[in-house]
Amino acid sequence: MQPQPDPVRELFFDAAHVGEAREPRFVGRGASFECGAVVRVSLRLDDAQRIVEAKFKAAGCSVLVASTSLLIDQVLGKTTAEAAAVCQTPLQLRSGELPAERIECAQLACQALIEAIRSYSDAARDEWEGDEALICTCFCVSERTIEREIQMRKLHTIAEVTAACSAGGGCRSCYPLIEDILAGVNRES
Amino acid sequence: MIYLDNNATTRVAPEVFSAMQPYLTELYGNPSSAHGLGRQMKSAVERAREQVAQLIGAAQSSEIVFTSCGSESDNWAIGGFLEQNPTRRHIVTTRVEHEAVRNLCEHLEQIGCEVTWLDVDERGELNLDDLRRALRRDTGIVSIMMANNETGVLFPIAEIGKIIRENSDAVFHVDGVQAVGKVPINLKEMEVDLFALSGHKLHAPQGVGVLYVRDGVKLPPFIIGGHQENGRRGGTSAVPNIVGLGAACELAKNFSGHETIEKLRDKLETTILRQIPNARVNGTTDPGKRLPNTSNISFEYVEGENILVHLDRAGVCVSTGSACHSTTKQSSPTLRAMNVPYTAAQGSIRFSLGRYNTEEEIDRVLEVLPPIIEKLVEMSPYDKELKALRMSRS
Repeated sequence: MQPQPDPVRELFFDAAHVGEAREPRFVGRGASFECGAVVRVSLRLDDAQRIVEAKFKAAGCSVLVASTSLLIDQVLGKTTAEAAAVCQTPLQLRSGELPAERIECAQLACQALIEAIRSYSDAARDEWEGDEALICTCFCVSERTIEREIQMRKLHTIAEVTAACSAGGGCRSCYPLIEDILAGVNRES
Repeated sequence: MIYLDNNATTRVAPEVFSAMQPYLTELYGNPSSAHGLGRQMKSAVERAREQVAQLIGAAQSSEIVFTSCGSESDNWAIGGFLEQNPTRRHIVTTRVEHEAVRNLCEHLEQIGCEVTWLDVDERGELNLDDLRRALRRDTGIVSIMMANNETGVLFPIAEIGKIIRENSDAVFHVDGVQAVGKVPINLKEMEVDLFALSGHKLHAPQGVGVLYVRDGVKLPPFIIGGHQENGRRGGTSAVPNIVGLGAACELAKNFSGHETIEKLRDKLETTILRQIPNARVNGTTDPGKRLPNTSNISFEYVEGENILVHLDRAGVCVSTGSACHSTTKQSSPTLRAMNVPYTAAQGSIRFSLGRYNTEEEIDRVLEVLPPIIEKLVEMSPYDKELKALRMSRS
């Protein structure tokens, strides 16, 4: 009997995007203290917050390598907010989902990507010239944008806000602020 | 396929298969039956018992008890001793034992036994003074492996046995699973009370093992049932497997190719070390203190599971001590006990050779391995460390 074909292995052998994005690049790392795996994702973005180049390096299992390569396939050309949204759902492999015990290996790839986006956003924030309050620092979303989205789309939950404008899609530290804005806008209306 | 995973299991030798064949076809009796066919089976089992006794130098064949595997033998030895001697609950063992001993002792620790875990040094060797200090009046059993399954490091069992006799009343159990068939063993000349071995590590089929129980050592039966194995293990004897094990022991006793295996192992190891800058051997390289067939090599800063997967695609079978391949998500406890750095333990590969390996196969591995490592080095996020390593070794 031949062993079952393993879709993860095929993806591992075909892994693309290995290396380092050209400067100016923004780098994020994902690491597991449990298994010792390390992955580093580097991004280069254009002025419209679009990912124009993404590369990775990893010392971890074939699931991690395959997932990171796949994740980069999915986020190339996307804005940082769209890319972060990709990380909100479990990675789909071409020929089926990952076994449950390996999902956290794939999550490391997302962790590294989010961190790279955050380091980009940090830099962007330092250059922030808007005269309005910046609520979501990960994705540079202002208070006014969040208010407008809540009013326009009649939003009631943080998840809906994140889906609409990416606010709260990264580190989540702005959750209380978004709660306040939600409460304020919905009280008025 | 190039099979370099002989410490995991071995191919059934053709001679072993031929010896077993009649017992899988026309000779189907139960050795406990009184009729001619039964008695024929019985004498086959007793012949196998004699063959095992010969290989390991047991004083008499009645000291050989057939079990289903090495783990059963280990569990029976330690668990049985504690059942027989419920007040002697101090156990001495090492941090690098096979799971069958290590996990059992951890379990026993949780249910009230006291366990002293002996450390090893960076070469994987024991400090015998630690053993002397660990032994006490109430020490019941000492369990120490003869050869380490991951690194091939040999412990000096004869010397350890003497120390135990001189300093305690403890019973001495030896997990000999990886040593049997690879190095000469003469239990008559050693202070060993219990000794476990497994058939499939020496070209017998999977599913048969032995516990050697020295004459005079009392153990309650592992399986309570019929009078098989002198009442020490109930259950119908697995005659084909037992006959296979007997044949495998005879084959091992007459085997003269250990030096050839050792030469091939050394060629593999020294060439890898010469060609691959981030390679290092885990465990002593003193030929007198290691198995002739095993080489455990860490490829630093790359992932062992990745190496394994690439080698597998190239038709080469090996093992890894990396966390990614184990269910516990932690790298090998043996390598951790040896204080191997995390980034090296993760990249460890065990090459274990056997009697059917050829020089052409080793040359082929030496051809496919360097580009695999090169590819993974390029993928590694530890670029600075790898660069420093290359500088220091060039």
